[in-house]
Amino acid sequence: MVFVPVFLLAVLAGCGGGERNGSINVFAAASLIDAFGEMKEAFEGENPGAEVRLNFAGSSALLTQIQQGAPADVFASADEEKMDSALEDGLVEEPRAFVTNELAVIVPEGNPAGIESLGDLAGESVTLVLAEDGVPVAEYTEALLSNADAEYGEDFSGRVLGNISSREVDVKAAANRVSLNEADATFVYESDITPDIEERVEIVEIPPELNVVATYPIAVASATQNEELAEEWVEFVFSEEGQRILESWGFEPAG
Amino acid sequence: MAALALLAGFIALPLVSLVIWTLSEETWEAMTSPVALDALRLSAFTTAVTMVIILIVGTPAAYVLARYEFPGKRLVDSLVDIPAVLPPSAAGIALLLAFGRAGLLGEHLTAFGITISFTTAAVVMAELFAASHFYVRQASVGFAQVDRAVEESAMVDGARGITVFLRVTVPLAFPALLAGAVMSWSRALGEFGGTIIFAGNFQGVTQTIPLAIFSELERDFDAAVALSVLVLAFAFVVIFTARYMTRKAQGYQE
Repeated sequence: MVFVPVFLLAVLAGCGGGERNGSINVFAAASLIDAFGEMKEAFEGENPGAEVRLNFAGSSALLTQIQQGAPADVFASADEEKMDSALEDGLVEEPRAFVTNELAVIVPEGNPAGIESLGDLAGESVTLVLAEDGVPVAEYTEALLSNADAEYGEDFSGRVLGNISSREVDVKAAANRVSLNEADATFVYESDITPDIEERVEIVEIPPELNVVATYPIAVASATQNEELAEEWVEFVFSEEGQRILESWGFEPAG
Repeated sequence: MAALALLAGFIALPLVSLVIWTLSEETWEAMTSPVALDALRLSAFTTAVTMVIILIVGTPAAYVLARYEFPGKRLVDSLVDIPAVLPPSAAGIALLLAFGRAGLLGEHLTAFGITISFTTAAVVMAELFAASHFYVRQASVGFAQVDRAVEESAMVDGARGITVFLRVTVPLAFPALLAGAVMSWSRALGEFGGTIIFAGNFQGVTQTIPLAIFSELERDFDAAVALSVLVLAFAFVVIFTARYMTRKAQGYQE
């Protein structure tokens, strides 16, 4: 039982290629790709010699990787549930919420399925994609849809979920399906509507009273090999500069 | 000797780890979960369709490649090899840009109300793209090794071309055809990158076993392990059957 994770760890550590001083592995939710990418540049600029390696995936996949012994120094999840599981397993220390995000519906440019409102998502012959079951954005979407049942009729969420043609690895993959006009619509975070995506999609308004707030927690991993730098990265995320970068990518500050 | 032991150990250890995890964590139940059963059914169905198409189209195509000279033959020959070298994810993007809803050809199909992406047909196309090479290449090598004199003497005896092909050439090339078919089928079964990019990932429609393993990683690690063990068992059965049948076929010829 212990054998397998230890083996995996050995292999993963081996791939790291020589332990350098001042490098950390940050495991972060896919929705943080752009913001953390920019923050890495800024952080490394301010801390010569430090190296931040970013590993992005759906938060659930990251949790599995960390549970299987992947060498993470920092974990940033798109929901509190994944972080709580990591905390229960003793894999992280003292998580703190650092940003929030809201959901948005995007459709390809030209809106081929004519989706003007949330209610239109339940229409027949609408091709929807959504992130994998268990990925935070999919769970937030399901919560939002059940909120909407009161407004649009009891079977609304069932009909919308019945229109799903593909389950994507993470929220970015779902957004790309729509920007490539392969699907009629998907749910993303507001922060996912980057300038690059915005050029090729249209945004459908979600009534604010139905929307859900996604809370992102971050924590240093218990097994970190470089606690000092890991903590510095977390500090940077909470710093004025870090928060400014996050806001510029569409995130909201946490309460 | 030491090198071989190292290689064998390197391959065996991960496989043994899979089995040990399954035994110790009692992941058997996950094998009969709806996700696993749907994936199994879909993989069996799509690879069967893929193989039928490959055998029907690939056999005469391989024969032509082995026996005839024509302008552009070298180009066609190289084209057949490309999917084997191309990373599957690149193949998936290529398929998407050709047959996707906004693709080169797909755009025109959409106008007629035909959409391929997110359907089981797209899964078969991804498998065909990746797997056809392995059969066609092996089969054409097999056909090239069949002695022309044997075919010609059958012709002299009055047999028609197609009869000679089916009764003489195909049986003589059988070990090569079988080996190629097994390789092709394994590649189709393992197809992942092209499928997830071009066909998408939806239970029962496009989620084959490799995609189900990937998806279950997000939810239920035990289920992912169980499915992996299942394909491992598959792989053993396929390899041993193929070995046995090839030996038997060679026995007939001698």
